[in-house]
Amino acid sequence: MTRARAITAVLAGSIFWWMVAEGRAEGDPAYGEYLANECTACHPPDVTDGVIPPLWLLPTDYFIDALRAYRSGERENPVMQAVARALGDEEIESLAAYFADLREQKGGS
Amino acid sequence: MTRLTRRGLLGTTAVLGVGLMAAPHVLRAQSRPKVVVIGGGAAGATVAKYVARDSKGAIEVALVEPKETYTTCFYSNLYLAGWRTLESITHRYVNLVQKYGVVHYRDMAVDVDTGKKVVRLASGRELPYDKLVVAPGIDFRYEAIEGYDEAAAMDMPHAYQAGEQTALLRAQLEAMEDGGTVVIAPPPNPYRCPPGPYERTSLIANYLKKHKPKSKIVVCDPKDKFSKQALFQDAWQRYYEGMIEWIPGELGGRVVKVDTKEMTVTLEGGDVIKASVANIIPPQKAGWIAHRAGLTDDSGWCPIDPDSMASRVARDVYVLGDASIASKMPKSGFAANSQAKVVAMDIRHQLLGDRRFPARYRNTCWSSVADDDAVKVGASYKAGETMIEVVDKFISKVDEPPEVRAQTRAEADAWYESITQDIFA
Repeated sequence: MTRARAITAVLAGSIFWWMVAEGRAEGDPAYGEYLANECTACHPPDVTDGVIPPLWLLPTDYFIDALRAYRSGERENPVMQAVARALGDEEIESLAAYFADLREQKGGS
Repeated sequence: MTRLTRRGLLGTTAVLGVGLMAAPHVLRAQSRPKVVVIGGGAAGATVAKYVARDSKGAIEVALVEPKETYTTCFYSNLYLAGWRTLESITHRYVNLVQKYGVVHYRDMAVDVDTGKKVVRLASGRELPYDKLVVAPGIDFRYEAIEGYDEAAAMDMPHAYQAGEQTALLRAQLEAMEDGGTVVIAPPPNPYRCPPGPYERTSLIANYLKKHKPKSKIVVCDPKDKFSKQALFQDAWQRYYEGMIEWIPGELGGRVVKVDTKEMTVTLEGGDVIKASVANIIPPQKAGWIAHRAGLTDDSGWCPIDPDSMASRVARDVYVLGDASIASKMPKSGFAANSQAKVVAMDIRHQLLGDRRFPARYRNTCWSSVADDDAVKVGASYKAGETMIEVVDKFISKVDEPPEVRAQTRAEADAWYESITQDIFA
């Protein structure tokens, strides 16, 4: 491995872990668990053939980015836009922390 | 599941070989705080499940519901269209009992003493409670339409409490001749599922267009406007042109009298309509036990504290779902399920000291209007000083492309599977 590649790999790894850690460190999983009760009215606990995904399956950074994109209107779907507009950064991070914990419990990575 | 009592347990320990190991459990079981939930619909079953599951057995939860299964009123219009079976919208309480330890009393609550904190059942059994959850749904004001009572509902079904009534309406539609007239009479506000009668109109038209295309639907409405009106009327025009006539209240659309022998419906404006099938949905009020327990006000519904759904009338009692006055929140299965989670949190906070977070409520109502076309309306809510207030809302647009509508239709099906799991699984 060249030096440049090694640095790139280390950087990429750090960014990845920083992003994963960000969701977990800043969010309050207990608050996230309460907030997640809003999600389970529509999102299934496990994989189905339906068009609505189980949330614990989504990577933490993707989950956070998606909610922010719904909140800004960049991503479309009026239900999710209304959901996201009712969430501050603290709420989004708490939800991410809760779903990350749930993913671990379910044996995901 | 039988109830755990010291006597019952001591009588069976020898047989089970559990011995004295069970004794501390018995003592703990007897000292656990008790929650009694009246009503096993979207509101009551969700509270029962969430309190039992999240308290991990620290709270004893009793669900009082005479029925063994629950057929959801939401999605029953899809059964009327012939899209779904009745079984596919019927759910059992077995998971609540076996997975979470809820005790299901298949009995009717006939009285509540909110002073002594006891619920009396039809069997004579008395259930003491620390917290009572009253979620009886709706009852009908049968006195409001001349000639329409419980017996008349067997000839002109309301089909607004799902199950037998829904099956009856479907059977009548199937038996009807091509070229017949279906009368649908929506109720005045407030009532369960505001878009329900109009989704029903769309889906009965969907069935008739495929199987009895010469038939007509007359919607006899006491109101001058209704939920998602522009969206429904646009769909009626596009898919069922000439099939549906809507008579608003201002044009005398309110049904004042029915004659089940002649199968006629008399409107306030004087018209008498001969119906092949008449779906009469009467004016509504909170379920009977809420009145009996003294939890209603002059409106016939139950006033609540917007931050917890606690009754404004009696201490240690919550009222939620259709029976409550949730101000801007509609009476819907989604809303009931949302309110239930706030109630469950408040109960755990009060009884176990668990953390309490600010109340958040949400509602979304999907309505199917044709095979690959559904629309939706929804909102986020918070607890205001005196009532539940809207934070944010949305509604589908009339000119949306077909792929958006098809996606909404698929989303509705996915939602139904999720919410019924959230309530019953």
